[in-house]
Amino acid sequence: MASSLTLSGVTAGYGAVHVLEDVSIAVPAGATVALLGTNGNGKSTLMKCVMGLVRPSAGSIVAEIDGVRHELVGRSTEAIVALGIGFVPEGRRLFPKLTVTENLMLGAFRAAARPEIARNLDFCFETFPRLRERAGQLAGSMSGGEQQMVALARALMSAPRILLIDEPSVGLAPVLVRRTIDKIRELKDSRQLTVLMAEQNFTQAIRIADQGYVIVHGRIAFEGASAEALNNNELIRKFYLGM
Amino acid sequence: MDLSLGLFGNAIVSGLLLGGFYAAVTIGISISFGMLDIANIAHPAFIVLGSYGAWYANSRFGVDPLIASVVLMPAFYLLGAGIYQLYYHAFERRGDASLRGLAFFFGLLFITEVGLILVFGVDYRLVRAPYIGPSLYLGALEFPLRLLVPFLASLAMVGLLWLYLSRSFTGRAILAVAQDAEALRILGADPVRIKRIAFALSIATTSLAGAILIVIQPVEPSIGRDYIGRVFAIAVLGGLGSFAGTVVAAILLGIMESLTATFYGPSWSPAIAFGFLLLALAVKPSGMFGR
Repeated sequence: MASSLTLSGVTAGYGAVHVLEDVSIAVPAGATVALLGTNGNGKSTLMKCVMGLVRPSAGSIVAEIDGVRHELVGRSTEAIVALGIGFVPEGRRLFPKLTVTENLMLGAFRAAARPEIARNLDFCFETFPRLRERAGQLAGSMSGGEQQMVALARALMSAPRILLIDEPSVGLAPVLVRRTIDKIRELKDSRQLTVLMAEQNFTQAIRIADQGYVIVHGRIAFEGASAEALNNNELIRKFYLGM
Repeated sequence: MDLSLGLFGNAIVSGLLLGGFYAAVTIGISISFGMLDIANIAHPAFIVLGSYGAWYANSRFGVDPLIASVVLMPAFYLLGAGIYQLYYHAFERRGDASLRGLAFFFGLLFITEVGLILVFGVDYRLVRAPYIGPSLYLGALEFPLRLLVPFLASLAMVGLLWLYLSRSFTGRAILAVAQDAEALRILGADPVRIKRIAFALSIATTSLAGAILIVIQPVEPSIGRDYIGRVFAIAVLGGLGSFAGTVVAAILLGIMESLTATFYGPSWSPAIAFGFLLLALAVKPSGMFGR
Protein backbone atom coordinates (compact mmCIF):
# COMPACT_ATOMS: atom_id res chain seq x y z
CA MET A 1 0.00 0.00 0.00
CA ALA A 2 2.86 2.35 0.69
CA SER A 3 3.71 5.03 -1.82
CA SER A 4 6.32 7.68 -1.22
CA LEU A 5 8.12 10.37 -3.17
CA THR A 6 11.72 11.45 -2.72
CA LEU A 7 13.50 14.31 -4.47
CA SER A 8 17.27 14.48 -4.04
CA GLY A 9 19.45 17.36 -5.16
CA VAL A 10 17.07 18.53 -7.87
CA THR A 11 18.30 21.49 -9.90
CA ALA A 12 16.13 22.83 -12.68
CA GLY A 13 15.36 25.97 -14.61
CA TYR A 14 14.41 27.51 -17.88
CA GLY A 15 17.40 28.22 -20.12
CA ALA A 16 20.22 29.78 -18.12
CA VAL A 17 17.98 30.72 -15.19
CA HIS A 18 18.04 28.32 -12.27
CA VAL A 19 14.66 28.16 -10.58
CA LEU A 20 15.47 25.23 -8.29
CA GLU A 21 18.89 24.65 -6.72
CA ASP A 22 19.79 21.40 -5.03
CA VAL A 23 16.31 20.77 -3.63
CA SER A 24 15.77 17.63 -1.55
CA ILE A 25 12.32 16.71 -0.27
CA ALA A 26 10.89 13.54 1.21
CA VAL A 27 7.20 12.76 1.13
CA PRO A 28 6.80 9.64 3.29
CA ALA A 29 4.11 7.08 2.59
CA GLY A 30 0.68 8.25 3.72
CA ALA A 31 1.86 11.71 4.71
CA THR A 32 0.68 15.14 3.64
CA VAL A 33 3.64 17.38 2.97
CA ALA A 34 3.20 21.09 2.41
CA LEU A 35 5.54 23.00 0.14
CA LEU A 36 5.36 26.57 1.37
CA GLY A 37 6.57 29.71 -0.24
CA THR A 38 5.34 32.90 -1.86
CA ASN A 39 4.96 33.38 -5.59
CA GLY A 40 7.99 32.90 -7.80
CA ASN A 41 10.06 30.77 -5.44
CA GLY A 42 9.88 27.60 -7.50
CA LYS A 43 6.95 25.62 -6.08
CA SER A 44 5.26 25.11 -9.42
CA THR A 45 8.51 24.28 -11.17
CA LEU A 46 9.17 21.60 -8.57
CA MET A 47 5.74 20.07 -9.20
CA LYS A 48 6.37 20.19 -12.94
CA CYS A 49 9.69 18.40 -12.45
CA VAL A 50 7.92 15.54 -10.67
CA MET A 51 5.32 15.33 -13.46
CA GLY A 52 7.97 15.32 -16.20
CA LEU A 53 6.82 18.66 -17.62
CA VAL A 54 10.15 20.30 -16.75
CA ARG A 55 13.33 18.27 -16.98
CA PRO A 56 15.78 18.75 -14.08
CA SER A 57 19.41 19.36 -15.06
CA ALA A 58 20.61 17.45 -12.00
CA GLY A 59 19.24 15.30 -9.20
CA SER A 60 16.86 12.41 -8.95
CA ILE A 61 13.14 12.01 -8.25
CA VAL A 62 12.13 8.58 -7.01
CA ALA A 63 8.57 7.37 -6.52
CA GLU A 64 8.18 4.19 -4.52
CA ILE A 65 4.84 2.60 -5.31
CA ASP A 66 3.89 -0.71 -3.66
CA GLY A 67 7.51 -1.39 -2.84
CA VAL A 68 8.78 -0.77 -6.37
CA ARG A 69 11.13 2.16 -6.95
CA HIS A 70 10.70 4.22 -10.11
CA GLU A 71 13.12 6.95 -11.18
CA LEU A 72 10.90 9.68 -12.66
CA VAL A 73 13.57 11.92 -14.25
CA GLY A 74 13.68 11.18 -17.97
CA ARG A 75 10.22 9.65 -18.13
CA SER A 76 7.42 11.17 -20.17
CA THR A 77 4.49 12.77 -18.36
CA GLU A 78 2.20 10.03 -19.70
CA ALA A 79 4.47 7.35 -18.19
CA ILE A 80 4.55 9.16 -14.83
CA VAL A 81 0.75 9.44 -14.76
CA ALA A 82 0.52 5.76 -15.68
CA LEU A 83 2.50 4.89 -12.53
CA GLY A 84 -0.29 6.37 -10.41
CA ILE A 85 0.82 9.92 -9.78
CA GLY A 86 -2.00 12.43 -10.06
CA PHE A 87 -1.68 16.19 -10.47
CA VAL A 88 -4.03 19.08 -9.77
CA PRO A 89 -2.31 21.93 -11.62
CA GLU A 90 -2.27 25.59 -10.67
CA GLY A 91 -5.22 27.38 -12.20
CA ARG A 92 -7.11 24.06 -12.34
CA ARG A 93 -6.75 23.67 -16.13
CA LEU A 94 -10.20 22.24 -16.78
CA PHE A 95 -11.59 21.80 -20.27
CA PRO A 96 -14.00 24.75 -20.23
CA LYS A 97 -16.18 23.63 -23.14
CA LEU A 98 -16.68 20.10 -21.86
CA THR A 99 -19.25 19.15 -19.24
CA VAL A 100 -18.34 18.22 -15.68
CA THR A 101 -18.85 14.53 -16.44
CA GLU A 102 -16.75 14.73 -19.60
CA ASN A 103 -13.97 16.41 -17.62
CA LEU A 104 -14.13 13.69 -14.97
CA MET A 105 -14.16 10.87 -17.52
CA LEU A 106 -10.98 12.31 -19.05
CA GLY A 107 -9.37 12.00 -15.63
CA ALA A 108 -9.67 8.24 -16.00
CA PHE A 109 -7.62 8.14 -19.20
CA ARG A 110 -4.86 6.17 -17.46
CA ALA A 111 -5.29 2.49 -18.35
CA ALA A 112 -5.24 1.27 -14.73
CA ALA A 113 -8.07 3.66 -13.81
CA ARG A 114 -10.50 2.52 -16.50
CA PRO A 115 -11.87 -0.65 -14.87
CA GLU A 116 -12.77 1.30 -11.70
CA ILE A 117 -14.36 4.18 -13.53
CA ALA A 118 -17.97 3.70 -12.36
CA ARG A 119 -16.92 3.30 -8.72
CA ASN A 120 -14.60 6.31 -8.85
CA LEU A 121 -17.25 8.48 -10.50
CA ASP A 122 -19.71 7.52 -7.74
CA PHE A 123 -17.10 8.34 -5.14
CA CYS A 124 -16.46 11.77 -6.70
CA PHE A 125 -20.18 12.56 -6.79
CA GLU A 126 -20.58 11.45 -3.16
CA THR A 127 -17.62 13.54 -2.08
CA PHE A 128 -18.78 16.57 -4.06
CA PRO A 129 -22.62 16.38 -4.25
CA ARG A 130 -22.61 19.73 -6.04
CA LEU A 131 -20.89 18.11 -9.01
CA ARG A 132 -23.66 15.52 -9.34
CA GLU A 133 -26.18 18.37 -9.58
CA ARG A 134 -24.04 20.11 -12.18
CA ALA A 135 -22.91 16.99 -14.06
CA GLY A 136 -24.14 18.24 -17.43
CA GLN A 137 -22.93 21.83 -17.06
CA LEU A 138 -19.95 23.16 -19.01
CA ALA A 139 -16.94 23.40 -16.68
CA GLY A 140 -16.08 26.88 -17.94
CA SER A 141 -19.39 28.27 -16.71
CA MET A 142 -18.89 27.22 -13.07
CA SER A 143 -17.69 29.27 -10.11
CA GLY A 144 -14.08 29.11 -8.94
CA GLY A 145 -14.93 26.91 -5.96
CA GLU A 146 -16.87 24.46 -8.10
CA GLN A 147 -14.07 24.38 -10.65
CA GLN A 148 -11.61 23.50 -7.89
CA MET A 149 -13.91 20.61 -6.94
CA VAL A 150 -13.91 19.41 -10.55
CA ALA A 151 -10.11 19.65 -10.68
CA LEU A 152 -9.71 17.61 -7.49
CA ALA A 153 -12.31 15.07 -8.61
CA ARG A 154 -10.71 14.79 -12.05
CA ALA A 155 -7.37 13.93 -10.46
CA LEU A 156 -9.08 11.33 -8.24
CA MET A 157 -10.61 9.67 -11.30
CA SER A 158 -7.12 8.53 -12.26
CA ALA A 159 -7.06 6.50 -9.02
CA PRO A 160 -3.70 7.99 -8.00
CA ARG A 161 -1.45 6.69 -5.22
CA ILE A 162 0.47 9.92 -4.93
CA LEU A 163 -1.34 13.21 -5.45
CA LEU A 164 0.34 16.53 -6.23
CA ILE A 165 -1.75 19.64 -5.69
CA ASP A 166 -0.46 23.00 -6.86
CA GLU A 167 -1.96 26.07 -5.12
CA PRO A 168 -5.46 24.78 -4.37
CA SER A 169 -6.39 28.11 -2.75
CA VAL A 170 -5.63 30.36 -5.70
CA GLY A 171 -8.54 32.58 -6.66
CA LEU A 172 -10.86 31.27 -3.95
CA ALA A 173 -12.68 33.21 -1.24
CA PRO A 174 -11.29 32.57 2.27
CA VAL A 175 -14.23 30.40 3.33
CA LEU A 176 -13.76 28.24 0.24
CA VAL A 177 -10.02 27.94 0.87
CA ARG A 178 -10.77 26.47 4.28
CA ARG A 179 -13.34 24.08 2.82
CA THR A 180 -11.02 22.98 0.01
CA ILE A 181 -8.17 22.27 2.43
CA ASP A 182 -10.53 20.24 4.66
CA LYS A 183 -11.65 18.30 1.62
CA ILE A 184 -8.07 17.46 0.70
CA ARG A 185 -7.50 15.99 4.17
CA GLU A 186 -10.74 14.01 3.91
CA LEU A 187 -9.76 12.63 0.50
CA LYS A 188 -6.27 11.77 1.66
CA ASP A 189 -7.70 9.72 4.52
CA SER A 190 -10.46 7.97 2.58
CA ARG A 191 -8.29 7.15 -0.44
CA GLN A 192 -5.07 6.53 1.50
CA LEU A 193 -3.16 9.00 -0.61
CA THR A 194 0.32 10.38 -0.23
CA VAL A 195 -0.01 14.12 -0.82
CA LEU A 196 2.44 16.86 -1.79
CA MET A 197 0.71 20.23 -1.74
CA ALA A 198 2.20 23.56 -2.79
CA GLU A 199 0.53 26.47 -1.07
CA GLN A 200 1.01 30.16 -0.37
CA ASN A 201 -1.60 30.21 2.34
CA PHE A 202 0.62 29.15 5.24
CA THR A 203 -1.99 29.03 8.02
CA GLN A 204 -4.42 26.94 5.99
CA ALA A 205 -1.80 24.57 4.62
CA ILE A 206 -0.25 23.62 7.96
CA ARG A 207 -3.66 22.73 9.39
CA ILE A 208 -3.49 19.46 7.45
CA ALA A 209 0.23 19.06 6.81
CA ASP A 210 2.25 16.44 8.68
CA GLN A 211 5.47 18.05 7.52
CA GLY A 212 6.46 21.13 5.64
CA TYR A 213 9.23 22.64 3.60
CA VAL A 214 9.71 26.34 3.07
CA ILE A 215 11.18 27.18 -0.30
CA VAL A 216 12.86 30.55 -0.84
CA HIS A 217 14.45 31.56 -4.15
CA GLY A 218 14.61 27.97 -5.31
CA ARG A 219 16.27 26.56 -2.18
CA ILE A 220 14.84 24.77 0.81
CA ALA A 221 15.16 27.37 3.56
CA PHE A 222 13.53 25.41 6.34
CA GLU A 223 12.34 21.89 6.92
CA GLY A 224 9.74 21.29 9.62
CA ALA A 225 9.00 17.78 10.79
CA SER A 226 5.68 18.85 12.32
CA ALA A 227 3.13 21.63 12.17
CA GLU A 228 4.36 23.01 15.54
CA ALA A 229 7.92 23.14 14.31
CA LEU A 230 6.77 25.18 11.33
CA ASN A 231 4.58 27.42 13.43
CA ASN A 232 7.28 28.20 15.93
CA ASN A 233 10.11 28.67 13.53
CA GLU A 234 11.84 32.02 13.80
CA LEU A 235 12.63 32.21 10.10
CA ILE A 236 9.05 31.67 9.05
CA ARG A 237 7.72 34.20 11.52
CA LYS A 238 10.20 36.76 10.31
CA PHE A 239 10.38 36.32 6.56
CA TYR A 240 7.27 34.47 5.62
CA LEU A 241 4.63 35.80 7.90
CA GLY A 242 6.36 39.14 8.42
CA MET A 243 5.93 39.03 12.20
CA MET B 1 -50.95 25.18 -57.79
CA ASP B 2 -50.53 21.41 -57.68
CA LEU B 3 -47.56 21.59 -59.96
CA SER B 4 -45.68 24.18 -57.89
CA LEU B 5 -46.50 22.34 -54.65
CA GLY B 6 -45.02 19.15 -56.13
CA LEU B 7 -42.04 21.16 -57.34
CA PHE B 8 -41.63 22.63 -53.87
CA GLY B 9 -41.88 19.22 -52.16
CA ASN B 10 -39.34 17.66 -54.49
CA ALA B 11 -36.99 20.61 -54.07
CA ILE B 12 -37.15 20.07 -50.30
CA VAL B 13 -36.49 16.34 -50.69
CA SER B 14 -33.54 16.72 -53.01
CA GLY B 15 -32.19 19.50 -50.78
CA LEU B 16 -32.45 17.23 -47.76
CA LEU B 17 -30.64 14.43 -49.57
CA LEU B 18 -28.03 16.86 -50.90
CA GLY B 19 -27.55 17.90 -47.27
CA GLY B 20 -26.52 14.33 -46.48
CA PHE B 21 -23.76 14.68 -49.05
CA TYR B 22 -22.71 18.04 -47.58
CA ALA B 23 -22.58 16.46 -44.12
CA ALA B 24 -20.23 13.77 -45.41
CA VAL B 25 -17.86 16.26 -47.02
CA THR B 26 -17.94 18.59 -43.99
CA ILE B 27 -17.63 16.15 -41.11
CA GLY B 28 -13.87 15.83 -41.59
CA ILE B 29 -13.51 19.63 -41.47
CA SER B 30 -15.66 19.60 -38.37
CA ILE B 31 -12.94 17.45 -36.78
CA SER B 32 -9.77 19.04 -38.18
CA PHE B 33 -10.87 22.68 -38.18
CA GLY B 34 -13.54 22.51 -35.48
CA MET B 35 -11.77 20.34 -32.92
CA LEU B 36 -8.06 20.64 -33.72
CA ASP B 37 -7.86 24.22 -35.07
CA ILE B 38 -6.14 22.94 -38.22
CA ALA B 39 -7.38 24.82 -41.28
CA ASN B 40 -7.05 21.95 -43.73
CA ILE B 41 -8.09 23.64 -46.95
CA ALA B 42 -6.81 20.60 -48.84
CA HIS B 43 -9.72 18.58 -47.44
CA PRO B 44 -11.82 18.77 -50.64
CA ALA B 45 -8.78 17.63 -52.65
CA PHE B 46 -8.63 14.47 -50.53
CA ILE B 47 -12.34 14.00 -51.17
CA VAL B 48 -11.59 14.02 -54.90
CA LEU B 49 -8.81 11.54 -54.22
CA GLY B 50 -11.45 9.41 -52.51
CA SER B 51 -13.63 9.73 -55.61
CA TYR B 52 -10.81 8.42 -57.75
CA GLY B 53 -10.21 5.53 -55.36
CA ALA B 54 -13.87 4.55 -55.64
CA TRP B 55 -13.85 5.10 -59.40
CA TYR B 56 -10.75 2.93 -59.88
CA ALA B 57 -12.15 0.04 -57.81
CA ASN B 58 -15.48 0.37 -59.62
CA SER B 59 -14.26 0.61 -63.22
CA ARG B 60 -11.40 -1.85 -62.81
CA PHE B 61 -12.90 -4.53 -60.55
CA GLY B 62 -16.59 -3.70 -60.67
CA VAL B 63 -16.79 -3.17 -56.90
CA ASP B 64 -19.58 -1.00 -55.52
CA PRO B 65 -18.08 2.51 -55.06
CA LEU B 66 -19.38 3.00 -51.52
CA ILE B 67 -18.16 -0.41 -50.35
CA ALA B 68 -14.81 0.18 -52.09
CA SER B 69 -14.41 3.48 -50.23
CA VAL B 70 -15.02 1.82 -46.87
CA VAL B 71 -12.36 -0.78 -47.70
CA LEU B 72 -9.97 2.04 -48.68
CA MET B 73 -10.57 3.97 -45.45
CA PRO B 74 -7.57 2.52 -43.54
CA ALA B 75 -5.26 3.73 -46.33
CA PHE B 76 -6.74 7.24 -46.03
CA TYR B 77 -6.35 7.01 -42.25
CA LEU B 78 -2.65 6.26 -42.63
CA LEU B 79 -2.27 9.06 -45.19
CA GLY B 80 -3.88 11.44 -42.68
CA ALA B 81 -1.60 10.25 -39.86
CA GLY B 82 1.44 10.84 -42.08
CA ILE B 83 0.30 14.32 -43.08
CA TYR B 84 -0.33 15.29 -39.47
CA GLN B 85 3.12 14.05 -38.42
CA LEU B 86 4.71 16.18 -41.14
CA TYR B 87 2.55 19.18 -40.24
CA TYR B 88 3.38 18.78 -36.55
CA HIS B 89 7.14 18.58 -37.03
CA ALA B 90 7.34 21.33 -39.64
CA PHE B 91 4.85 23.86 -38.21
CA GLU B 92 2.76 23.16 -35.14
CA ARG B 93 5.69 22.26 -32.86
CA ARG B 94 7.35 25.59 -33.64
CA GLY B 95 4.18 27.59 -33.25
CA ASP B 96 4.12 28.48 -36.96
CA ALA B 97 0.82 26.76 -37.43
CA SER B 98 -1.51 29.50 -38.59
CA LEU B 99 -0.20 31.15 -41.76
CA ARG B 100 2.54 28.76 -42.84
CA GLY B 101 0.30 25.81 -42.05
CA LEU B 102 -2.27 27.30 -44.41
CA ALA B 103 0.39 27.50 -47.13
CA PHE B 104 1.29 23.87 -46.42
CA PHE B 105 -2.28 22.70 -46.97
CA PHE B 106 -2.60 24.93 -50.03
CA GLY B 107 0.45 23.14 -51.39
CA LEU B 108 -1.08 19.75 -50.59
CA LEU B 109 -4.22 20.80 -52.44
CA PHE B 110 -2.24 21.54 -55.62
CA ILE B 111 -0.02 18.49 -55.35
CA THR B 112 -3.05 16.23 -55.00
CA GLU B 113 -4.80 17.88 -57.95
CA VAL B 114 -1.76 17.81 -60.21
CA GLY B 115 -1.01 14.25 -59.17
CA LEU B 116 -4.52 13.17 -60.13
CA ILE B 117 -4.26 15.00 -63.48
CA LEU B 118 -0.91 13.34 -64.25
CA VAL B 119 -2.21 9.87 -63.42
CA PHE B 120 -5.81 9.99 -64.61
CA GLY B 121 -6.01 13.00 -66.95
CA VAL B 122 -8.57 15.80 -66.85
CA ASP B 123 -11.59 13.86 -68.15
CA TYR B 124 -14.75 13.56 -66.09
CA ARG B 125 -15.12 10.12 -64.51
CA LEU B 126 -18.24 8.38 -63.32
CA VAL B 127 -19.17 5.14 -61.59
CA ARG B 128 -21.81 2.46 -62.10
CA ALA B 129 -24.01 1.13 -59.35
CA PRO B 130 -27.51 -0.38 -59.23
CA TYR B 131 -28.83 2.59 -57.26
CA ILE B 132 -27.77 5.14 -59.87
CA GLY B 133 -30.86 5.80 -61.96
CA PRO B 134 -33.95 4.41 -60.19
CA SER B 135 -36.06 6.36 -57.71
CA LEU B 136 -38.44 5.61 -54.86
CA TYR B 137 -41.79 7.42 -54.94
CA LEU B 138 -43.79 8.53 -51.96
CA GLY B 139 -46.94 10.05 -53.44
CA ALA B 140 -45.73 12.92 -55.60
CA LEU B 141 -42.35 12.99 -53.90
CA GLU B 142 -39.40 11.48 -55.70
CA PHE B 143 -36.45 10.02 -53.79
CA PRO B 144 -33.67 9.32 -56.29
CA LEU B 145 -31.67 6.37 -54.93
CA ARG B 146 -28.54 8.03 -56.32
CA LEU B 147 -29.05 10.62 -53.55
CA LEU B 148 -30.85 8.49 -50.96
CA VAL B 149 -28.20 5.77 -50.61
CA PRO B 150 -25.33 8.27 -50.13
CA PHE B 151 -27.54 10.19 -47.67
CA LEU B 152 -27.94 7.07 -45.52
CA ALA B 153 -24.25 6.16 -45.83
CA SER B 154 -23.30 9.68 -44.75
CA LEU B 155 -25.58 9.66 -41.70
CA ALA B 156 -24.24 6.23 -40.71
CA MET B 157 -20.65 7.53 -40.89
CA VAL B 158 -21.44 10.67 -38.90
CA GLY B 159 -23.34 8.64 -36.30
CA LEU B 160 -20.55 6.10 -35.84
CA LEU B 161 -17.95 8.86 -35.56
CA TRP B 162 -20.04 10.64 -32.96
CA LEU B 163 -20.41 7.45 -30.94
CA TYR B 164 -16.65 6.99 -31.04
CA LEU B 165 -15.94 10.58 -29.99
CA SER B 166 -18.45 10.68 -27.15
CA ARG B 167 -18.03 7.17 -25.77
CA SER B 168 -14.35 6.24 -26.07
CA PHE B 169 -11.46 7.57 -24.00
CA THR B 170 -9.51 8.61 -27.08
CA GLY B 171 -12.66 10.22 -28.51
CA ARG B 172 -13.21 12.34 -25.42
CA ALA B 173 -9.55 13.33 -25.48
CA ILE B 174 -10.04 14.48 -29.09
CA LEU B 175 -12.91 16.73 -27.95
CA ALA B 176 -10.62 18.22 -25.28
CA VAL B 177 -7.27 18.53 -27.03
CA ALA B 178 -7.72 21.96 -28.62
CA GLN B 179 -8.97 23.45 -25.33
CA ASP B 180 -5.87 22.64 -23.30
CA ALA B 181 -3.26 20.25 -24.68
CA GLU B 182 -1.06 20.49 -21.57
CA ALA B 183 -3.96 19.61 -19.27
CA LEU B 184 -4.52 16.52 -21.38
CA ARG B 185 -0.87 15.57 -20.94
CA ILE B 186 -1.11 15.66 -17.15
CA LEU B 187 -4.05 13.27 -17.37
CA GLY B 188 -1.81 10.77 -19.13
CA ALA B 189 -2.81 11.36 -22.77
CA ASP B 190 -0.15 12.42 -25.28
CA PRO B 191 -1.76 15.38 -27.09
CA VAL B 192 0.31 14.86 -30.25
CA ARG B 193 -0.87 11.27 -30.51
CA ILE B 194 -4.47 12.31 -29.88
CA LYS B 195 -4.31 14.98 -32.58
CA ARG B 196 -2.71 12.54 -35.00
CA ILE B 197 -5.55 10.06 -34.49
CA ALA B 198 -8.16 12.81 -34.90
CA PHE B 199 -6.60 14.23 -38.04
CA ALA B 200 -6.20 10.75 -39.51
CA LEU B 201 -9.91 10.14 -38.84
CA SER B 202 -10.80 13.39 -40.58
CA ILE B 203 -8.90 12.25 -43.69
CA ALA B 204 -10.41 8.75 -43.45
CA THR B 205 -13.85 10.33 -43.88
CA THR B 206 -12.79 11.75 -47.28
CA SER B 207 -12.69 8.23 -48.69
CA LEU B 208 -16.45 7.72 -48.22
CA ALA B 209 -17.22 11.40 -48.92
CA GLY B 210 -15.37 11.06 -52.23
CA ALA B 211 -17.30 7.95 -53.17
CA ILE B 212 -20.54 9.77 -52.35
CA LEU B 213 -19.43 12.69 -54.53
CA ILE B 214 -18.78 10.50 -57.55
CA VAL B 215 -22.05 8.63 -57.07
CA ILE B 216 -23.89 11.95 -57.16
CA GLN B 217 -22.02 13.62 -60.03
CA PRO B 218 -19.14 13.01 -62.45
CA VAL B 219 -15.74 14.02 -61.04
CA GLU B 220 -12.60 15.62 -62.48
CA PRO B 221 -9.41 16.39 -60.51
CA SER B 222 -10.03 20.04 -59.63
CA ILE B 223 -13.74 19.74 -58.77
CA GLY B 224 -12.92 19.84 -55.07
CA ARG B 225 -12.37 23.59 -55.29
CA ASP B 226 -16.11 24.09 -55.77
CA TYR B 227 -16.59 22.81 -52.25
CA ILE B 228 -13.89 24.61 -50.22
CA GLY B 229 -16.09 27.59 -49.42
CA ARG B 230 -19.22 25.58 -48.77
CA VAL B 231 -17.47 23.05 -46.53
CA PHE B 232 -16.01 25.70 -44.22
CA ALA B 233 -19.27 27.65 -44.29
CA ILE B 234 -21.24 24.60 -43.11
CA ALA B 235 -18.72 23.82 -40.36
CA VAL B 236 -18.84 27.40 -39.06
CA LEU B 237 -22.61 27.69 -39.42
CA GLY B 238 -23.23 24.48 -37.48
CA GLY B 239 -20.92 25.54 -34.67
CA LEU B 240 -17.29 24.43 -34.80
CA GLY B 241 -16.78 20.90 -33.58
CA SER B 242 -20.49 20.11 -33.23
CA PHE B 243 -21.57 17.08 -35.26
CA ALA B 244 -25.27 17.70 -34.75
CA GLY B 245 -24.73 21.29 -35.87
CA THR B 246 -22.81 20.14 -38.94
CA VAL B 247 -25.61 17.81 -40.03
CA VAL B 248 -28.34 20.40 -39.45
CA ALA B 249 -26.34 23.14 -41.22
CA ALA B 250 -25.55 20.80 -44.12
CA ILE B 251 -29.21 19.91 -44.59
CA LEU B 252 -30.31 23.56 -44.25
CA LEU B 253 -27.79 24.61 -46.86
CA GLY B 254 -28.83 21.74 -49.13
CA ILE B 255 -32.51 22.68 -48.90
CA MET B 256 -31.81 26.37 -49.44
CA GLU B 257 -29.64 25.71 -52.47
CA SER B 258 -32.17 23.31 -53.90
CA LEU B 259 -35.11 25.70 -53.41
CA THR B 260 -33.15 28.58 -54.91
CA ALA B 261 -32.06 26.48 -57.86
CA THR B 262 -35.63 25.31 -58.50
CA PHE B 263 -37.40 28.64 -58.26
CA TYR B 264 -34.79 31.28 -59.17
CA GLY B 265 -32.01 29.47 -61.02
CA PRO B 266 -28.86 27.65 -59.88
CA SER B 267 -26.58 30.67 -60.18
CA TRP B 268 -28.36 32.31 -57.23
CA SER B 269 -27.81 29.45 -54.80
CA PRO B 270 -24.30 30.34 -53.53
CA ALA B 271 -25.45 33.93 -52.90
CA ILE B 272 -28.44 32.75 -50.86
CA ALA B 273 -26.38 30.17 -48.98
CA PHE B 274 -23.56 32.53 -48.02
CA GLY B 275 -26.03 35.30 -47.30
CA PHE B 276 -27.69 33.01 -44.80
CA LEU B 277 -24.31 32.15 -43.30
CA LEU B 278 -23.50 35.84 -42.73
CA LEU B 279 -26.92 36.47 -41.23
CA ALA B 280 -26.71 33.45 -38.94
CA LEU B 281 -23.25 34.40 -37.71
CA ALA B 282 -24.36 37.96 -37.06
CA VAL B 283 -27.11 36.63 -34.80
CA LYS B 284 -25.11 33.80 -33.18
CA PRO B 285 -21.34 34.03 -33.79
CA SER B 286 -20.60 30.61 -32.26
CA GLY B 287 -22.80 28.91 -34.86
CA MET B 288 -26.11 27.14 -34.37
CA PHE B 289 -24.85 24.43 -32.03
CA GLY B 290 -21.62 26.01 -30.83
CA ARG B 291 -20.78 25.53 -27.17
